Amino acid sequence: MIKYLATASLLLAGVSLSIGAALAADPGITDTEIVIGDVEPLTGPPALLGVAASIGHKIAIAEANAAGGINGRKIKYVLEDDGYVTARTIQGVKKVTDVDKAFALLGISGSGQSIAVMPLLEKSGIPTVIDVAPVKFLWEPPRKNVFVVGQSYEEGIIHLVNYLAEKNPGKKWGLITQDDDYGITVRDGFDTVVKARKLNVVYSGNYKKGQQDFSSDMLQLKDSGAEVFLAGGIIGENIAMMKELEKLNIKPVVGIFWPGRVEPVLKLMGPAGDGIYAVDYVEPFAGAAGKAFLEKAKGLLPEAEMKGINRYSMTGYAAAKVLISAIDRCGKQPTWACTIAELEKTKNVETGIMAPISFGPGVRFSNQKLQIMQSEFSTLSFKPVN
Amino acid sequence: MQYFMQLLISGLAIGAIYGLIAMGFAVIYKSTGLVNFAQGEMTMITAYIAWTISTTVSGNVFVVALGAIVAAVVLGLVIERVVMRPMLGEPVFATVMVTIGLAVILRSSINFIWDAYPHGLDVGFGRTIVRIGSIGVRTGQIAVIATLLLLLAAIWAFFRYSKIGVAMRAVAADDRTALLMGISATRVHALAWAASSVIAGIGGVFFALSYDLSPAMFQLGLKAFPATILGGLDAVLGSGLGGLLIGITENLAGGYLGSGMKEVAGFAMIIVVLMVRPFGIFGERDIERV
Repeated sequence: MIKYLATASLLLAGVSLSIGAALAADPGITDTEIVIGDVEPLTGPPALLGVAASIGHKIAIAEANAAGGINGRKIKYVLEDDGYVTARTIQGVKKVTDVDKAFALLGISGSGQSIAVMPLLEKSGIPTVIDVAPVKFLWEPPRKNVFVVGQSYEEGIIHLVNYLAEKNPGKKWGLITQDDDYGITVRDGFDTVVKARKLNVVYSGNYKKGQQDFSSDMLQLKDSGAEVFLAGGIIGENIAMMKELEKLNIKPVVGIFWPGRVEPVLKLMGPAGDGIYAVDYVEPFAGAAGKAFLEKAKGLLPEAEMKGINRYSMTGYAAAKVLISAIDRCGKQPTWACTIAELEKTKNVETGIMAPISFGPGVRFSNQKLQIMQSEFSTLSFKPVN
Repeated sequence: MQYFMQLLISGLAIGAIYGLIAMGFAVIYKSTGLVNFAQGEMTMITAYIAWTISTTVSGNVFVVALGAIVAAVVLGLVIERVVMRPMLGEPVFATVMVTIGLAVILRSSINFIWDAYPHGLDVGFGRTIVRIGSIGVRTGQIAVIATLLLLLAAIWAFFRYSKIGVAMRAVAADDRTALLMGISATRVHALAWAASSVIAGIGGVFFALSYDLSPAMFQLGLKAFPATILGGLDAVLGSGLGGLLIGITENLAGGYLGSGMKEVAGFAMIIVVLMVRPFGIFGERDIERV
């Protein structure tokens, strides 16, 4: 009997020690601080989304810290620049996990970059909430420790094209996309609706990433007689296309995708940008929710960072809220295992800037509700439409 | 015919911008024997400075133009004095690598000094659309074509008749002999960098007028470089004309062969031309390749 008790005691001690070791093994947490890491493009053209997303993270973190932190621990935010270069994204993730010892990750950069770091994230097991570029590969198949807030590019395009097709029955369609993974996703979504609704596509263009002059492309569009046009550019490309259409004196019904739905674009498009349709899962800044978000940001951000806010700040804020909330629910001794379990239990978390966020067992994608918006040049804003 | 004319005019307009930047490449190469891989970035910086002047000092077109020219001169001189002059006498490969490093620094500076958002350069000129029949063209596009042609004439006269122009040609031909003749090579180099910065900067400002400013603007350098190769790396005037040829070819290919061919067409033309004339259409035969 004594022998059995001794063996049981030894086993118990062993289990306790291994649990202690596991607790100690989760990095990025001290008695006073929790480290959250992030890697974004902060330089080069994609900085438009990377800087904005990081600002969204900062707002949520500042809000939590102002309220006393996570169970008394202040959140330290470590941000790395990858310049939108995949090799640097991998280096950046290694740096924030191995050197800065991040407890959890937010971000991470663009779709290609997130996909590239996925093996690293899976291997390390660090709780991660991705918010910048939601693509299916990130949640199909579901990875234990990786959660994605947003909506898929493909679903977004399907929603937009379906809406435009319903409003413009029997019209001729035109499409132009970028020659990369982003463009392929846009085209796949478009083709899905074209097949289902048998749309009459009279122009289909494909431009090289970095192209700045769209005069011949838009002339081809005009020549084709397209009446509804899906502009598959991101920022500068869509501006250039709209200006060309204005120069060519045509005004088709135009749809753009959410990466290009940032307000400064409307100013640059001028009157040519009036009435453009867009799809998104975050609220427009012109609405009550958008205004409230900006008000909140004013109190938490330095003045210089306010100008960097755009829709990606909202997605970043929402992701950070979900992560902070999950860590918070783990109580005084949060671990990776608990944080992942709590992220999985996320149910209808309200952020005020998009539909409530939920995950579930085996569900790592929040699948946000989409809405259609239309631009208004006079107020340089997007407004929801029915 | 209208379709062709619209493609041609748009091609000339974007080609004129490529041409101006290509001339910037050629001025430096002709005077220093160096390919400046930071040309697109210098073009972008000048355009951003012009935008800053227009939003903070005055939106008057003359104030902005003068300010941008002065800024471009200063930019060219500072780069020559601080970065390039210490590299005099060093291997060409090392010097070229320095210009690549400089390009990365200038490119990143946009986000540090300005931001990643696109901006419009509004000087009350250049955005109005002029219609000739059903063909539309912006005043800024007409102006950039006219500016390129004027500059081509002015630079031809400068190299042909001015003392400094002849000195620059002498340094380009043989800097040691030029030195023996009392010509200061360093002064000529400084002048070349300043002139190159101004000429390319003008292209950048016109691009910002017709399109917009964004951190992606440095890519204009990548489009203008083939124009320089096509016209001749040591041919300033040839580079300007090379830009026009690239612009027209791109647009015609894009308009008749499809969007995907637009970016390829210019390079395809270069391959063909270089197979026949390895030194470019207007270049001299003894170019040192880097």
